[in-house]
Amino acid sequence: MANLRVEQWSALPPAKGWWARLSMGDWAWAAGLTAAAGIVLGLYGAGFGYWQFVVLACWYAALMAAGLAWRPMQIATLAVVAPALLAVWLYSIGQTPANNFLLRDVLQGYAAALWMSGLLLAATAAYLVFLFTRSERLGRWATGLTWAGAIMGFIALGVRWRETYIGHPDWGHIPVSNLWEVFVLFCASTPLFYLYYEKRNQARALGAFVLPLVAAGVGFLLWLTFAQHMDRIEPLIPALQSFWMKLHVPMMFVGYANFTIASLVGFAYLLGERSRRRGGWLGRALPTGAVMDDVMYKAIALGFLFFTASTILGAVWAAEAWGGFWSWDPKETWALIVWLNYAGYLHARVVKGWRGTAMAWWSAMSLWVVSFCFLGVNLFLSGLHSYGQL
Amino acid sequence: MTERSAIAPPPHARWRLLVQFLGSMRLAVSLLVLLAIASIIGTILTQQQPYPNYALQFGPFWFQVFRELGLYNVYRTLWYTGIVAFLVLSTATCVTRNTPRMLREMRDFPTRQAEQVLLEQDEWVRMQSPLAPAAAGERAAQVLRAAGYRPRVEQVADGSLAVAARKGRYQRVGYFLTHIAIVVICGGALYNADVPVKWAEWRGALQPEKNFDLPLSQIPQKSWMSVHNPAYRGTITLPEGETANAVFELAGDGYLVQPLPFRIHLQSFQISYYSTGMPKDFISRIVLYNDQGKELKAGLVRVNHPMSYDGVEIYQSSFSDGGSLLRMNSYLLGAPGTSPRTLEGRVGQTLQAGNSGYAVDLKNFDLYNIVPKSAVGEKATPDHPTVNLGPSFTYIVHDKSGAGAEFKTYMTPITREGQGFFVQGFRTAFANPYQYVYIPTGPHGGIGLFMDYLAALQVAARAGSNASEAIFVDTFRQVVAQDAPEMSPNAQAVFLQASMDALLQLRDYPMPFVLSLSSFDHRWAAGLQVTKWPGTTVIYWGCVALVLGIFILFYLPQKRIWMRLRAHDEGVELLAGGSANRNRLDFEKEFSTLAAGLEQVLEGSEIAHKEKDNGKPAS
Ligand code: HEM
Repeated sequence: MANLRVEQWSALPPAKGWWARLSMGDWAWAAGLTAAAGIVLGLYGAGFGYWQFVVLACWYAALMAAGLAWRPMQIATLAVVAPALLAVWLYSIGQTPANNFLLRDVLQGYAAALWMSGLLLAATAAYLVFLFTRSERLGRWATGLTWAGAIMGFIALGVRWRETYIGHPDWGHIPVSNLWEVFVLFCASTPLFYLYYEKRNQARALGAFVLPLVAAGVGFLLWLTFAQHMDRIEPLIPALQSFWMKLHVPMMFVGYANFTIASLVGFAYLLGERSRRRGGWLGRALPTGAVMDDVMYKAIALGFLFFTASTILGAVWAAEAWGGFWSWDPKETWALIVWLNYAGYLHARVVKGWRGTAMAWWSAMSLWVVSFCFLGVNLFLSGLHSYGQL
Repeated sequence: MTERSAIAPPPHARWRLLVQFLGSMRLAVSLLVLLAIASIIGTILTQQQPYPNYALQFGPFWFQVFRELGLYNVYRTLWYTGIVAFLVLSTATCVTRNTPRMLREMRDFPTRQAEQVLLEQDEWVRMQSPLAPAAAGERAAQVLRAAGYRPRVEQVADGSLAVAARKGRYQRVGYFLTHIAIVVICGGALYNADVPVKWAEWRGALQPEKNFDLPLSQIPQKSWMSVHNPAYRGTITLPEGETANAVFELAGDGYLVQPLPFRIHLQSFQISYYSTGMPKDFISRIVLYNDQGKELKAGLVRVNHPMSYDGVEIYQSSFSDGGSLLRMNSYLLGAPGTSPRTLEGRVGQTLQAGNSGYAVDLKNFDLYNIVPKSAVGEKATPDHPTVNLGPSFTYIVHDKSGAGAEFKTYMTPITREGQGFFVQGFRTAFANPYQYVYIPTGPHGGIGLFMDYLAALQVAARAGSNASEAIFVDTFRQVVAQDAPEMSPNAQAVFLQASMDALLQLRDYPMPFVLSLSSFDHRWAAGLQVTKWPGTTVIYWGCVALVLGIFILFYLPQKRIWMRLRAHDEGVELLAGGSANRNRLDFEKEFSTLAAGLEQVLEGSEIAHKEKDNGKPAS
């Protein structure tokens, strides 16, 4: 009897450390990413200043962490990098959108952004219909279209980065310098983070709340494109020529994307709970309140971390460009307002233990604060951050 | 946390009540939200404008009210900084109050816990197993180990077995880091804000000077700060070739002077341009000297690339005209046969236009004027949307009575359909946009032909001619025959038509002469900002602590699990309870996996578990 027990005992799985949980794919991912970083270093490292190492290290670490935390990121990264590199190669052998249909219709930054727009609009429609019909097949389509849209968006940004150098090498810059470019970034990154929360929580119905706002963003992007012609590549004003931009702006958009998702999930929560109280269909379609509450908190937490880091980087940059960390310029002040707002939210939730409807309202209403910081400041107020003006 | 652990203070300890209040979460959340709302004001109302602008905008009454509230510089008012100070004080109180408890919690983790405590955890499960206590304890520990915990097992006096495990022991460090960071960052900012100077200003020992036209040597001593001032941020506009050893700091509607420990000499200033005409960089070449004239450092100061010397940073912040030398021709309107007079002066100077009684203020000179093509009636193409109109200068003319008008004159003529035009803008009130006169240029480029024509017309008018078309044409013929006989008939027709238009435009022209720019010696002035901020390093470390702390708080949650195994006749009864202080939903899943594992290896069966009100968020 005793012996038997000992045998059963040792039949228990051994303590699985973090390392042991990595799959073959993960190892391949880590190796591939490391190799890619190595190639970049080998090709361009000799000409790097210290800050280019910093930027490379940050992107390496961020992609590594994201890929290991969420495996679909690995495939998505490949799906972005391979076509983008193809486009860069086509450019390098003298092809242009004028003489190469692949560049003209698909891969050039402008075309890819339009593809992104179309795919995300289709995804929005699919999610909305899915919410009403709850057809599993349609739901898979919605998710797939969202993936495709996000991937096209990042391809657009990657290729455009290269395009800024073509014709006038001194113009080259990371494409996050005007309203058009940051809107592509916003429209691509919000669905990407959303897909993460959807997958983790099996909460596809939330797409019908998150994607419509992305669709509104797409609408604005299309307006910028066709009415304002802001898709034109312009050189950078002197203040923007800084490597801090390569960290500050992308990190800011991790914040914006997650805050936006949290707000829209807040709306979903409010409507869902209302419907549940009345026994409506929406309550059954949406995930449980506990799950939505959790998504809100997680999104705000991730957003807050990046928003804090990014605001700090912005302050460091301002110190270098304008001679002061903090000039109380409207954009900075609104970043502070957003930050204080979410600090308040986190304290109320974590320390006071508030949950449920009140917090959902708080999160939902924060959409105004966040969008004013993101867009309203550029449209209505003037200041040092005037890059985004129309 | 704070609220739950708060113990009612004994009534005599008033300060305790105060500490309790300062460290309360209610206050913290309220202050955070209040500060957010207060911050909005300064983004709606443009800050730090000259006071007359506000007076114009709000009218005398509200101007005064808003001024009393400090709304023109909100972020430096007593009440705003007061809220910040209160928040910092509250955070500091919070940290001091919580840290000992959190340290204790980090250090001590009891293996044994009363059953009641286990039942108070967010999750618990009770199960029955046929195994002997020792074996069951070992296996339960094994399950925890498999989940990545490092469990401890302890024999309790009453014969039962206690197992305990936790993860995220150092999560509290995150709390400590974030909140200390807030205090440190605000402290650093306070140091940078140079409180002693503000204090001296408040006491009246320092008095901001209000007259912005005084030369440095005449600024009274009361407006000078000490050269040993630990922190400052000032600006100076330095023309090329000049040297300065002090900068100016705006204070209210005046300014203070900050002497520097060195002299800054601006050798040259330069703007580089992209092919579109957009500025690419602003570059000042400067040299620092000490008082004895020894060179300390030399180099470039560019946007995003300040120069640093001995804890002082020098930034490229703006540029303007540094007193360019302008040579002008002055044409009197309607004075026949006179050749233009020449005038010479530097931007910033006031010239007397002969003995006519007119004073000309040379206000500014612009080397480039890049405007959208549509503004000058040309067709814009996507690649070349703008056109460079070349150098221009602006000046204000006052007559004897003091009435004035502002003028903007472009040096090079623009060309439209083959005919050149000299462009002259004017306005009689600053709020108005410029009105433009397009004076046609003759075959030699100048405006002499038009001026002669104008003069001849006036002579004809004085001689009694009526303004008939024939007079205009005949007079023109005569003038052309004299001035530019080589002009083709076609060019003459175009010129005549353009002259008619110009005559109409000249009707509103407020002064009897036109200045044109013949040549210039351009001289820039660079706007440099000079700062000394010793608190910066501390702030940077505070920021690192803040981000690190937030990361720890969110992503290394503390999870604690306790088990109690009690022997009875047919084996053991196990009670396991646990909590996580973040991400309860994740922990709920983890715990149920754990419970399933326990059930399996203990060959046991569940008796009871914590009831959940499903669907409602865990609280
Ligand atoms: C600008 C001011 C403040 C900021 C930015 C800030 C930031 C934070 C953050 C980010 C968290 C983590 C929340 C989470 O884990 O989701 C937190 C937790 C906390 N804060 Fe603050 N805080 C501030 C002021 C205060 C004040 C004034 C108090 C005291 C009343 C306070 C008490 C706490 C407590 C007790 C926790 C929970 C720690 C834990 O459970 O581990 N905070 N704070």
